[in-house]
Amino acid sequence: MATESSEMVFVQDPANPQCPNLPKRAGPDQIPDHVPPELILDAGLITGAEYLQEPHDYMAAMHEKFPPVFYNVSPFGNSWILTKHEDCLHVLRNAETFRNLEAAPFPRDPNDYFFFIPQEIDPPHHRKYRNIVDPLFCPAGVAKLEGKIRQRAGDLIDQFAAKGECEFTTAFGRPLPVSVFLDIMGLPQDMLPTFVEWADIMIHSQDPAEVGMAFGKAIAYLKGAIAEKKANPDEGVISLIANASIDGRPLSDKEVFGFVCFLWIGGLDTVYATLNNIWLWLARNPDRVQEIIDRPGDMHKIVEELLRRYSVTFSSRYVTHDIELRGVRMKAGDRVMTCLPAANFDPDVFPDPLKVDFDRPRKTILAFTVGVHSCMGGHLARLELRVALEEWLKRIPRFSVKPGTEIAYKPGGVVGPAAVPLVW
Amino acid sequence: MPKITYVSHDGRAATVEVPVGENVMHGALYNGVEGIAGECGGAPSCATCHCYIDEAWAATVGGPANDVEKELLEAAACEVKPTSRLSCQITVTDDLDGLIVHLPETQF
Repeated sequence: MATESSEMVFVQDPANPQCPNLPKRAGPDQIPDHVPPELILDAGLITGAEYLQEPHDYMAAMHEKFPPVFYNVSPFGNSWILTKHEDCLHVLRNAETFRNLEAAPFPRDPNDYFFFIPQEIDPPHHRKYRNIVDPLFCPAGVAKLEGKIRQRAGDLIDQFAAKGECEFTTAFGRPLPVSVFLDIMGLPQDMLPTFVEWADIMIHSQDPAEVGMAFGKAIAYLKGAIAEKKANPDEGVISLIANASIDGRPLSDKEVFGFVCFLWIGGLDTVYATLNNIWLWLARNPDRVQEIIDRPGDMHKIVEELLRRYSVTFSSRYVTHDIELRGVRMKAGDRVMTCLPAANFDPDVFPDPLKVDFDRPRKTILAFTVGVHSCMGGHLARLELRVALEEWLKRIPRFSVKPGTEIAYKPGGVVGPAAVPLVW
Repeated sequence: MPKITYVSHDGRAATVEVPVGENVMHGALYNGVEGIAGECGGAPSCATCHCYIDEAWAATVGGPANDVEKELLEAAACEVKPTSRLSCQITVTDDLDGLIVHLPETQF
């Protein structure tokens, strides 16, 4: 067994991105020697049959079924998995030890590499990029969008309210966040179905060739959009980024592209999945719907609790030097995944974790991660969820899942049901 | 533009200009002042922008803005004092020109 200490050295130049060429380990043949055999497991996340039955219940049960730190072996990549709230906070808050490199699983040309910005940028550079967009995405910034979001939500619901039924994910869950996002970015609304199709393949397809093709189309489109916004600046975020400077210099083409591309991916799938999960829960719990209707002054804590109960994604890091976590030795180059939904079900922090309890004592929830890389879209997501609930329940206060429906979950890095047929 | 001075737990002071309407947490982050994490971005849903208002300014700034801030402050990593505030909940006004806030040793 190798015992010498190791360190991962990768000097990052955000303006001239180089592929970090980090170790890619996948499958049972690529398990490093320092991993104790008893911690080598396959958790069956993302694609496992049992997981796909009901992913959130499954992740809550991980606290009983698996050790709090274990080495997950999968054909999609081997990684330590953390389920304890405390451990996830530790990893996410220590950006020097746990670096956010090669964070997004989309294929990039190593000879024409770009970073997903700001996600893959380390402190202190990271803050400079966030400073460009944070004024728009901070609570005061997104509050300016509330009227527009409310109007879009109302218009969508009015299209199907009288029909007495809808397929929620396509009628509302998808078009609401994506149309809001297109407004923010300064992209045309008629691109909505095309973006949705590309994003759906990129995030949920298990076929790398198909993912590459969809990503290629998105790249070409976004490059065109950036060129257009450089020539004709407007109020949108693409224009803001395309024409931004840091440290007294304009952003390079690769910085602009990596930034826009990251926001584009981030904006298309996560709120969508969140809404789908939550509406399924609402449809199955009419008494809780009534409770929400009866507590209009408590919408903020209602939204926080629903985000805890239905977190939709995971966050991974690379270990940069040898460490011990909960008694487990990890080495430079190891990958660590914080299982955010599981951390939000940690019974030591959230007793009776699957119960939706709007009056829980306030604890840090991990829906948007924490630390420097915490989600910049978090405030927008909270606002969209609150407005969506208010506008929907105003018009459709009683609804249920269409009888005979079997709910199927999508495999992939964003957790949610594939379809949610509703009737009222 | 109002000037705000952030004093680190070991006594280092940094004075920066923060526009009216911004909050005291952003004032630190946008100007590279260390000691405030502000990791939820001002939701407010964490307590990682905890600061102590200088005694001379405590009356002007006032106590927690609402119950949410009060509740979140209980989760702050460092000792909570009568002058404790979440800096994301303090909006900069002309009246706060010269404000001094003291930062705790850690936010986690």
